[in-house]
This record gives sequence, structure tokens and C-alpha cells, in this order.
Amino acid sequence: MSWVQATLLAPGLCRAWGGICGVALTGISISQVARQLPRGLHCSAATHSSETALVPTPTEPQQRRTKAVVPYENMFGQAPNGKRDKASFLQAVQKFGEHSVRKRGHVDFIYLALRKMREYGVERDLAVYNQLLDIFPKEVFRPRNFIQHIFIHYPRQQQCGVAVLEQMENHGVMPNKETEFLLIQIFGRKSHPMLKFLRLKRWFPRFMNINPFPVPRDLSQDPVDLATFALRRIEPDLSARVTVYQTASSKDSTDVADPTQPHIIGIQSPDQQAALARHNPTRPIFVEGPFSLWLRNKCVYYHILRADLLPLEEREVEEMPEEWNLYYPMSLDLDYARHGWDDYEFDIDEVEEGPVFAMCIAGAHDQATLARWIQYLQETNPALAQIPVVFRLAGPAGELQTSAGLEEPPPPEDHEEEDNNLQRQREGQS
Amino acid sequence: MSGCGLFVRTAAAARACRSLVVFTASRRPLRTSPPIRAFAKHLFLGKIEKKEVFPFPEVTQDELNEISQFLGPVEKFFTEEVDSRKIDQEGKIPDETLEKLKSLGLFGLQVPEEYGGLGLSNTMYSRLGEITSMDGSISVTLAAHQAIGLKGIILAGTEEQKAKYLPKLASGEHIAAFCLTEPASGSDAASIQSRARLSEDKKHYILNGSKGLTLSTQLECSGMILAQVWITNGGLASIFTVFAKTEVVDSDGSVKDKITAFIVERDFGGVTNGKPEDKLGIRGSNTCEVHFEDTKVPVENVLGEVGGGFKVAMDILNSGRFSMGSAVAGMLKRLIEMTAEYACTRKQFNKRLSEFGLIQEKFALMAQKAYAMESMTYLTAGMLDQPGFPDCSIEAAMVKVFSSEAAWQCVNEALQIFGGLGYMRDSAYERMLRDTRILLIFEGTNEILRMYIALTGLQYAGRIITARIHELKRASVSTVMETVGRRLWDFTGRTVDMGLTGKLGVVHPSLEDSANKLEENTYYFGRTVETLLLRFGKTIGEEQLVLKRVANILINLYGMTAVLSRASRSIRIGLRNHDHEILLANTFCVEAYFQNLFSLSQLDKYAPENLDEQIKKMSQQILEKRTYICAHPLDRTY
Repeated sequence: MSWVQATLLAPGLCRAWGGICGVALTGISISQVARQLPRGLHCSAATHSSETALVPTPTEPQQRRTKAVVPYENMFGQAPNGKRDKASFLQAVQKFGEHSVRKRGHVDFIYLALRKMREYGVERDLAVYNQLLDIFPKEVFRPRNFIQHIFIHYPRQQQCGVAVLEQMENHGVMPNKETEFLLIQIFGRKSHPMLKFLRLKRWFPRFMNINPFPVPRDLSQDPVDLATFALRRIEPDLSARVTVYQTASSKDSTDVADPTQPHIIGIQSPDQQAALARHNPTRPIFVEGPFSLWLRNKCVYYHILRADLLPLEEREVEEMPEEWNLYYPMSLDLDYARHGWDDYEFDIDEVEEGPVFAMCIAGAHDQATLARWIQYLQETNPALAQIPVVFRLAGPAGELQTSAGLEEPPPPEDHEEEDNNLQRQREGQS
Repeated sequence: MSGCGLFVRTAAAARACRSLVVFTASRRPLRTSPPIRAFAKHLFLGKIEKKEVFPFPEVTQDELNEISQFLGPVEKFFTEEVDSRKIDQEGKIPDETLEKLKSLGLFGLQVPEEYGGLGLSNTMYSRLGEITSMDGSISVTLAAHQAIGLKGIILAGTEEQKAKYLPKLASGEHIAAFCLTEPASGSDAASIQSRARLSEDKKHYILNGSKGLTLSTQLECSGMILAQVWITNGGLASIFTVFAKTEVVDSDGSVKDKITAFIVERDFGGVTNGKPEDKLGIRGSNTCEVHFEDTKVPVENVLGEVGGGFKVAMDILNSGRFSMGSAVAGMLKRLIEMTAEYACTRKQFNKRLSEFGLIQEKFALMAQKAYAMESMTYLTAGMLDQPGFPDCSIEAAMVKVFSSEAAWQCVNEALQIFGGLGYMRDSAYERMLRDTRILLIFEGTNEILRMYIALTGLQYAGRIITARIHELKRASVSTVMETVGRRLWDFTGRTVDMGLTGKLGVVHPSLEDSANKLEENTYYFGRTVETLLLRFGKTIGEEQLVLKRVANILINLYGMTAVLSRASRSIRIGLRNHDHEILLANTFCVEAYFQNLFSLSQLDKYAPENLDEQIKKMSQQILEKRTYICAHPLDRTY
């Protein structure tokens, strides 16, 4: 089976090598090979998750090699103190080396190890990957003549090597010189793992900083820190100030009145503050939300304080004060405007939206909590006392309800607070 | 007072007409003669108003004699008794020095004689400025007192106000300060927070302020009503020109906030000042916050009209600028003396410093700048002294910009000649460098003044060529053909002749080349201004980088005119070393010419020299992140 497919794949490899060695490295050939290779070799109908694209799912190989797998599982199982960390992982790898001097079953072991890496928390450790590659016997799989070069040589081993690199790629681990050296030793210069390696080397640096708004890899577990980060991320104004209005009270706190006090973190920029001060008190403002924001695998929910767009007739035209600048005229008194040829402004049809005055992330999404947020806001925005606040809280429709490490999702809102009768949330009531 | 009487009298005699000129300044609307055409504004049209600038203004021999009589003691006093280092270190001008300055009459130089001042003309005032600039702190203190502090009373005060205040101000018994800027408002008059409210009996204004979230309100506890920060002479002064907002009923019945100027005495009560600020330079001058708290100001102390404070403030600021040129020139001349002394004695590699080309270059630069600066200042002062109140605010602003930047550059170079020696606290150059830095900032920062220079001129030119521009925009065939034809004609590189040279020329033949360069620059400047107005119209105010270049060209043109005018005069009347002057003038003109050519080409559309788009983009990207955004050169991605 693999022979036939390897034959079919060989031109792909040649093409890809041509691309790498040639001037232009086209993206097409790369993606083709990378995609075809695993599918073709494994004949696995199961769709792989992106995490372990090349690592076969445990069920499939177990059926074929039930006997072989068990001892390796044991190797990982028998850590001395049951701790799962880098040391015990390396110990298992070392144990495999001692156990099987001729490296028999090393491919299976590597696949298993790749699957186990997350458990041991070493999935981002370059040294561990290099250790894994080191398990391969050296010089054995290197093609020795041109026929071997043309056809895929030791496809299962090569594919295993690619799987290691693929997992590195998925976890953003950049291979180093040692990796290169190992790969050359094991598979030779013109091999699929080497090709993969070169692609990593080429594209990783280029895409590393492609995101202008990077999210740190390890997000804080503390909801306050997470909320602060999320709010900073939403708010474009750098002078905006994050305020921690209240933090979640612990179980044994002395606060009898409110034992389950959720945290409230808000953000407001000086401009927003000024806009709120200018707001016409006869028009209500709205607390809306929760809206979701995903940060890696965490989801936070935020609320905004906003107003409707003023109707055209009520907008004040900002007039230029006559006596403004003591030193030079702010506008020239001429009756001809900019020439069309020098007007580089694009005619952009902008959708105008009402102003947003503040945002917050709270531990609970009920009205009581948000009303408290408005109270706190009032300390810095006295104008808020005069403005009616309407709560428009809705359940987050269409969002994932469960996710690992997720903040508890808001309860399916049974209080659909569409207060159309302008429920006034006057300060001082509470 | 009696001590200064002698000097006052000796200096007073033949200036009655001058003082009259100053005195009648407030009656400007009565003037019937046609307005004097300002030179700088005409440059924007590509024309040189020869009559305004040629020949170079002169003073009579009598005046000259008097001023030299007066200069002697002042110079003696400054060289012998003023210890600049001590003033700088202690951050205070000693009282006895101040007393002596008062007795010399230096506090009332431009106050008309009938009010006990010296009534000096602008030219004479500039001449004296050369001497007083020997100490930066004293120079600034004097300028804050009379160039802006009491100028309001001279320009806009009533008879009674003048009679009441000017004598004591002129004698130095009272010191004046000018209170305009506030913590929240720099050049922004609209954000002035201070308020004055008319009392019930309509006899007083009560200075009242709204409590904003300004720095000063936080500093002051309960009673602070109004804070004016950084007022030079704030601690010394007992008479303040204060600008505050008052409610004024407009002609259409609506109530508006307008700025009104007041004369406030310290004795009115409620006037306090903070402690003197510690500054980088001019440390001897007294700069501090002044607070007015429920100060009762009598109605008769309103300066000018109620609600007319903006105009008063602008007039004061515009009138006070030109004198910086002579002060800096005086300083530069002394600086050249001191540095030359050093360069000719110090030896390096068995050679004197003065033999090195790179050192010589610096002296040439200093001399050129000083020469151009002097020429510009005295040309402007002469224009201002002409009867008929010419509006020379653009010229004055140009002098200020040019002289302050030249001062900074030259002091910097001079310090460089001294090397490490100049960097030491003991040397005078370090102090001069610090003192000089303020020149670029006060009396309107140079950036703001450039905007003023360019926009005022463009406004004038824009009005005049309105009709032409409308025709061009309507694509009127004759106008377009004419324009295209003229462009083609210009393109051939024709020579421009505006009559500066030649048989009836005003410029001496030895400066002919430079004069031609000036003519050419002026002509193409006019063309460029027209193009710019056609391109940007009234929105040109937003193109600050364009305006900066326009201002730079204009400053250069004015400098060229001034040096040509002065050098021509020097040759014709055979002043000493006039060949040196010709050399300086010609060099200055050539340099300015090429600078202008470059700026003009940058003002072309799609000019490769013009990097404005890139500049804007770079700064945008930085300001968006509010930081330097490049990765560190040692950073790596793999």
C-alpha cells in the first residue's frame, strides 16, 4: 500500500524540493504536500483535530499493535512520585532507550510520547522534541542512492518525523540547529522531515509577529487581571483608565450583607467622560450586554454603557470661537476651498453609531451588579445622576456554553430586561 | 527717581516727536492717510516694495549722540557691576542691581516723556537692548516689564490710566507683569478660565474663576479663584495686565463670554503669587504663578473696551517681538569676541585653533547670523518708527524667529569651539546656552510664529488674487492661457528684474548678483504662493508643513533684503570695513537663495524632495502606540 502511495508522492517531494532550492517557493506545492502526506499514509478516515494532525488517534494503532503499545504506556505510567513534569517525561524517554537497545518500536513510542506531551506539560519545550527525535536510529534511514532519493525512503519513519515537527509547529516551537542536525543525521538532507523543517524555518519568523494585537500565551487565571487585559484590548484609547470597582469577596469574608460579591472592572477614557458630561439628561442611556470576547481559550463577557445616536436636528454644530488663537488665524477668510485635485479624502460612507461611554466586565451579569457599576461610575461622572439608565440585558445567543477554563457563562437570561418604559435607575435609591 | 533724573533728561530732549508717535497709538482709527503697505505681505504677491526697505533706515546725528551718551553708563554698569554668574546661581537679581537699573531709567525706556519715561523710539530701544542682553535674566525682566507688561497701558490705556500708572512704572517704583497664559490654556484664548463679574453697584469688577480640574485648582485649596501660571515678574510686580472673561451683551442681544483686559494693582487685594519657579535658563528672572482671588477691580481699570481684550492682547504680543533681534545680536557680537580670543590663543597640534577650517567655519556662521539679525532688526525698527503706524507684525515675528534660532545655533557652535571647557559649570557659555533656549519658546513659540507669518501673508495674498483664482477655477480661457504661457516663460529660466539693480537700482553693483537672486526667489515665491492658494484654498491652515516652508522662505527673503539694503548703504556712505559687510551679505544671500530653491521645489506637487506624506505616516504610527515601535536591533525571531 505505502509503496504505491509513496510512488505517487515522490513527484510531490521532488516538486517541493525544487521549490525550496529554486528562487520562488510557491505556497501551492507546500500546502499540497503537507496535506497529502499524512492522509495518504494513514488512510485514516477520521478527521484529525488541528492539535494532533499527524499523530494517529490512539484507537487506530492500538487495534493493530495492541501488544506493542502496552509496555510503552507503562513507561509513562511508572513515574516515581506520580508527578508529571519534564523530568519524568525525559525519564520515560530514557527508559525506552534502555529498554529497547535496538530501538525496536521507536515509531510507536514517539507517537505515544507526542500524545503524552500535553499531559506532562512539555508540549512547548524544544529540548524535549529534540530528545524525541534523538530516539530515531541515526544514518539508517538516509537514502543511499538516487532511486531511494526519488522514492520515499522509509515512509513510516519519515512520516513520524514529520509528525514531531508538526506538533512543534502547532505549539509554536521554533526548531533550532540541533533539530536540523538530528534530522540530517536521521533522514538526510532531502527528506520530508527536512522539508518540513525548512518550511518551519522559513515561515515561523515571518508569521511570528503578524498579529498586531497579540494575546499572551499564558493568560492570567485571576479574573480581575483577565478582565483588565480584555478591557484594554477592546478600548482603543490609550489614556483610558481601568478601575477595579470591587473584587470578588471570598467565602470567609466578613461582609455579611453581600456574601457573593462579584468583581466589577470598568474602563473609561477621558474623552468618554467628557462625552458623558455633555450628554443631554433627557435622553436615556443604556447598559447593554453581555457581549463575548474570546481570549485564546477563555471567554469573557463585557457590558457597555451607550447612548443612541442623536437625531440630526438635535446635533450641535461646533462653532469656531472668534477669539481663539492669540497668535495666528485659525481659519483663513477666503472664499475658495481646496482644489479637487488636492483632495485626497476618500468618500467613505461611514455608519454612524451612538457614543459608548464606558465598558465593564463583571463577575455576574445580573442587573444588580451592573447597577452597582453605574453607581461606581457616578463617582467620577456626576452627570450620571441626572441621566436615566435603562438596562437591556440579554442572554448571549449562539455562544458556546462550555469550554475549558471558561468563566462561568451567564445564566440563560430569564430576565429579559427590555424595559421600554424607561426604568429609571436614579442614584441614591440603592 | 531723582537719581535717574539726569539720565532721563539727557536722553529725553529730541524725542518729542517719537513719544507723540507712541502716544497717539491708541487713536489709530482717526488716521486719514492711506494705509502703509507692508513689505512682507507684498512678498507673497511676488513683489518687492522697494520704498519700504531701501534705503536702510537711519537716525539723525543728534539722536545718535544722545543714545551713545546714554549707552555709556549703562554699559559700564553692566560690565562692572552685574555678576551674571551670581544671578544665575542664586536665581535672583540682587535688589541693589534692580535699584541701579531703575535709577538708570531702564524701566521706562519706551514710556512717553510726559509720563516720566525716556520715550525712546523703537530703533533706540533696540540699540539699548544690545547692552541689556549682557545678562539674560535682566534682559528678560526688563522686557517682561516694558515690552509686554506695561505696553497695554501705552497702547490701549486712557489718559487717566496713563497718568495714574505710567510715571511710577517708568521710574521702576512699580513693576509690571502680563498675565495671559493659564495652566489650561497656552496659546488657546478660548480656554481661559478666569472670569470677571461686574459687582452689584457696577463700580467694580470682581475677578472670579470657574473651578476647573486644572493643576492650579488642585494646588490651591479653597479660595483659589484664578490661576495664571508662569508669569515673568509675577513675584516682583505690583501692576498686572490681566485678561479675564467677562459677559458681554452682543449687538444682537445675546450674552457672550469675551475677554477683557484689566489693570490690576497688587493693593486691590486677593493677589497672591506662588514661589518662584526653578528654570533651566534665565534663572534670575522671577517667574511664578499669580493667583487672583476675589480681587476688586474698579471699572475705570478696564484696559481698552470691555470685551476687547483679545485685540489688546494681540497688539501687545505683536509689538513686543522685534526687540529680540538686537538683544541677540548684541550677545552674539560679544560671543564672537570671547570665542575669537580663545581660538586665537589655544594651540592644538602646534597650530592655533583659528587655523582649522572647521573652527573658521563657525566664526563665519556667527558673523553672518549676527549681521543678518542686526540688519533685520534695525530695518524693522526703522519701519516701525515711520509715521503712520505701519503694521510690521509679520516682520517682527520674522525677526524673532530668525534671531532666536540663530542664537541657539551660534551659542551651540561657540560652546563647541570651547569643547569640554565650555561644558563646565564655571564657563559662561554653559549659562548662555541655557539662557538662549528660552528665546525659541517665549513670546510665541517659533512654531506658532511661523504659522502666524505664513497665514497672515497668505490671507493677504489670497484676498488679492481671489478674482484670478476664481477665473482659473472656472477655466476662463484667457486666464488659463495666460497662466500656462507664463509658466512656459518661467520654465525657460528667464531672468527676473524688479529694478533693484541697474541704472536706477537701489542696490550697490557689488551686490548685484545677490540682488538678482533675491528678485528671482521673490518672483517664484509669488508664483508658488498662488499655486498653493489654488491648490489648498482656505484649508491651507491645515497644511502646517507647507506653511512652515512658506514661513522659512519668507524669513530668508526678508533677511536677504535687509542685508542687501544695509550693505548697500554701508558702501555708499563708506562705513568702516564695508568690504567685509559685502562679503557677509553676499554669502548670506547665496546660502539663503539655495535654501529657498530647495524649499520652493519641496512646495511643488509630487516633488521628490517632499517627504511630508512619509513624515506624517511615521508620526501617526508612533503616536497611535505612543511609543517607539521598532523592535530592538538585537531581537530575533528564531
